[in-house]
Amino acid sequence: MRNITKKTGFLLAIALIAVCVFVGCGDKGGSGAGLKIMYVTNTLDDYRTLLQEATISTASTEGVTLDVQEGTSSVDDQVNQIKSAVSGGYDAIICLMSDSSTALQLEAVAGDLPIVFVNSMPSEDQLDADKYMYVGSQERDAGTFQAEYVWDKLGKPSSLNALIFMGEPGHSGTIGRTSAVKDYFKDNGVNADFVFCDYGNWSDEIAADKFNIFLRTKQDFDAVFCNNDTMAIGIVKEMKKHGFDTSKIPVVGVDATAAGCQSIVDGGMQFTAYQSAAGQGEMGIKTAIALATKGSAKGLEGLNDEGTIVWVPFEPVTASNVKDYQ
Amino acid sequence: MARQKKRSSGTSGSSGSKINGKREKKIKDKLLQSIMPAVLVTIVVLVLISSVLTRSRMHEMAQSELEASITNQSDNIEAWMQENLENFSTIKTTIEAVKPSDDELADLLSAYVGTNSNSPNGVYAASQSGKLYVGEGAELSVSDPTSTEWFKQGLTRVDMAYGEAYKNSDGVYVISASGIINDGSDDLKVAAADVTLDKISIIVNSGVKMKHASSFLVNTDDNMILAHRDSSLVSTTLSPGSSDPVLAGVYEKIANADYSTDQMGGYTVAFSEVSNTDWLLVSYIENKIIMANVTRLILILLLVGLLAVIIISILIRLIVDRVIKPISAITENISAMSSGDFTIEVSNTSNDEIGRMGEQVGKFVGSMRNMLSSINHESERLKIQSDNSDTVSRNMYDASQSQEEAMENLNHTVDELAIAVNEIAENATTLKMVVSDTKANSDKASESMKETVDISQKGRADMERLSEAMDGIRLANDELVTSINKVGKASDEITNIVDMIGDIAEETNLLSLNASIEAARAGEAGRGFAVVATEIGGLANNSADSVNNISALIDQVRGLIDDVVSQANASARSIQENSELIATAMQTFDQIFQNIQSTSDVIDEMIIGVSKVDDVAANVAAISEQQAASADEILETSRSMVEQAQSITASSQDVADNSHELAETSQTLTGYVQQFKIKKEDE
Repeated sequence: MRNITKKTGFLLAIALIAVCVFVGCGDKGGSGAGLKIMYVTNTLDDYRTLLQEATISTASTEGVTLDVQEGTSSVDDQVNQIKSAVSGGYDAIICLMSDSSTALQLEAVAGDLPIVFVNSMPSEDQLDADKYMYVGSQERDAGTFQAEYVWDKLGKPSSLNALIFMGEPGHSGTIGRTSAVKDYFKDNGVNADFVFCDYGNWSDEIAADKFNIFLRTKQDFDAVFCNNDTMAIGIVKEMKKHGFDTSKIPVVGVDATAAGCQSIVDGGMQFTAYQSAAGQGEMGIKTAIALATKGSAKGLEGLNDEGTIVWVPFEPVTASNVKDYQ
Repeated sequence: MARQKKRSSGTSGSSGSKINGKREKKIKDKLLQSIMPAVLVTIVVLVLISSVLTRSRMHEMAQSELEASITNQSDNIEAWMQENLENFSTIKTTIEAVKPSDDELADLLSAYVGTNSNSPNGVYAASQSGKLYVGEGAELSVSDPTSTEWFKQGLTRVDMAYGEAYKNSDGVYVISASGIINDGSDDLKVAAADVTLDKISIIVNSGVKMKHASSFLVNTDDNMILAHRDSSLVSTTLSPGSSDPVLAGVYEKIANADYSTDQMGGYTVAFSEVSNTDWLLVSYIENKIIMANVTRLILILLLVGLLAVIIISILIRLIVDRVIKPISAITENISAMSSGDFTIEVSNTSNDEIGRMGEQVGKFVGSMRNMLSSINHESERLKIQSDNSDTVSRNMYDASQSQEEAMENLNHTVDELAIAVNEIAENATTLKMVVSDTKANSDKASESMKETVDISQKGRADMERLSEAMDGIRLANDELVTSINKVGKASDEITNIVDMIGDIAEETNLLSLNASIEAARAGEAGRGFAVVATEIGGLANNSADSVNNISALIDQVRGLIDDVVSQANASARSIQENSELIATAMQTFDQIFQNIQSTSDVIDEMIIGVSKVDDVAANVAAISEQQAASADEILETSRSMVEQAQSITASSQDVADNSHELAETSQTLTGYVQQFKIKKEDE
């Protein structure tokens, strides 16, 4: 008996040590120590700069050697950068594609090297669990947040008249954000009448023009949903011109751009959804580390069922928290 | 040899041939019994594995085929709708560019009527004020355009887009594309164009690229079926309680907005959302159809398997028959052998293992024959020899019995010898102990003697020191006498000096008298001098007195010295006497010391002697113990010799019995060997 107990104890101890070692390796901060990751990006704009900075800072806290390539809009340049990552003995690539339809070509060049696509989403069937993954925000979230805010703001009415200004036809942001708004009301049993729903092509001018045409239909409206902040700002401007009270008729956007946030501060727009550059940068590095060390993204927050996408949630921005995003 | 014997004894039953017959069957059956289940299991497993693999593969293939088909359909619908929409949009853009008056607009619209077969009425328009603009030749009757669905939907956008399907005034399901005409006029106009669902139905119902698959189109907004092969279902609404498992399942999927390929009541169902619409294209195929091929494949596999089993069993039978044929000849020979017939001849035909077996059996029969005849011969000789040995063993028995008796006597004698030797050993041991004690005592005496020698040596040394001390005392006494004598001389000198001083004092006294006389003569002038003279006279008198005293004292001292000298001389004499006595004592001590020394030497010699005696006694004791042990051993040996003699007696009895038995056995053996038929060959 005693022998058995001793043996069991011994085995347990070994198991415990093993578990400690493994868990210790997997869990602690700085788990990416010694890894070499390449960051390939599109030509920098405000948002991409923020994303790049977040990626760099996460890399340094995780102890990863991050090699940031010069941002380029050229597919050829990105292909060459990825080729150099393959020959340079990198452990993973984080890539913000200059053209989201080139994923397959980049994957072919990378070969066995895992690629974490960020921000610009390739077609889902071109993603591969634990190999070619996407880190980004779910477009539908932005629409859901918008609808949630508006419905609450209007006092949860059973019916409402709303305007939707969509982005470009066929764009994933357009489809996801718009359908989420419609679905939100449908799911909550709200009889939402979208008295105007047209493409504004992300442009404040086109949105404003179409808003003016809508005004000629002389229909009432309770809220204006815009697929982005730029269009929302254009609408706010027109509404003020025509004497509409934007504090009573909420105009909501997406992106939390500087102008968008300023508009919220100035009492124009009421709401915007922030696509977290910090979150995408952080999760991009974490996903790359997970793929390079464990060969699996399992356990990462926001991972979808197929194991191909790590969703970084949108963050709602209102007058109460807009300071944090300016 | 042994194996062959066993085999011959094993098969030498009365029913040998029956057993042989059974055996022949058994080899065949055994082979079949062991091979067929394995073959069967293998075939069944193969069929199972291939069917399972084929099933899942077929399923995957069917699924992807279904998905490809539905994507194609969906793309076709989209392309068709897009094409029409672009056509309508172009017309609308033209209107917006031309900005026509009401009449002009009617003319413009008329130009397009009939140009698009999918939309025979062409583009039409209506204003918010209720005016309807329809091209010439178009069959459209709308009483209140502003209340129509297309108008309301059109007011929600500038870019033309399709709205929900609805039944038009002719009772036909159509969908309208509509949008605001942005011509800047105050009376806002909406342009619209209808397409019937017929074309879409054709794409949905006949555009399925997968055989046996079906499709239908649903509007996810209101769950209405827009197109279905079963026309009675068109324009009905999906409900969760539908008896059709696919329709019920699709309802669930739409409710969950989950459009992944799924299984529903024996159907594989795929989905595709039609872009820019709320439409969902559903395509499904019955699993039975997919699996029909699999079932046929399994059937074929099973048939092939069965055929294989039959062919294998026939083959095994044939092969075993061919293989066993030569064995049956060998078996016959072995049967003859088992019944004791070694006259057989084995014929050898084949050159395989079985041929070699026959050859070996032939050789075996030959050697058995030779062996049996020699056994026969040998057993007869053996019988004679065993009779002889019976006699010899009886003689041996007698001899051993007498030896046993002699042995017992010897044993008795040795017993006594052992007792005697043991006694000697005991005595020797006692002697040894006594001598050891003596040695210990004499050792003690030697020690005491040594102590005595030491003490006497010390006494003599003390005596010598005493004598030396005596000499010292005498010398000191002599010195004392000398010193005292010197003192006597000194006191004599002092007496002389004192006498001299007495003379001086007397003369001084005379002088002082003279002086006082002279002074008296001098008269007054000598008065002072007279005083001095008187004083000096006094002084001289005093000195004379002192000298007398000193003389008296010195006389006393001289008397004392004389006493001391006489006493010192007396003590010198007594010292001399003591010294002589001490010398005598020393001589006596020397004598004692020498005597003790010689005694000690004698004791030492005695101890050496005793030690030698001790060693000898020890040796004697050890030897006598060894002797005792040896005697015991001898005793033991003689005892075992007695036992052996007894067992020899017993053994020789056994030998006698055995040789008797042997004689009988050899007789029996001869009888057995004569049963084998070997003489035929010899004769």
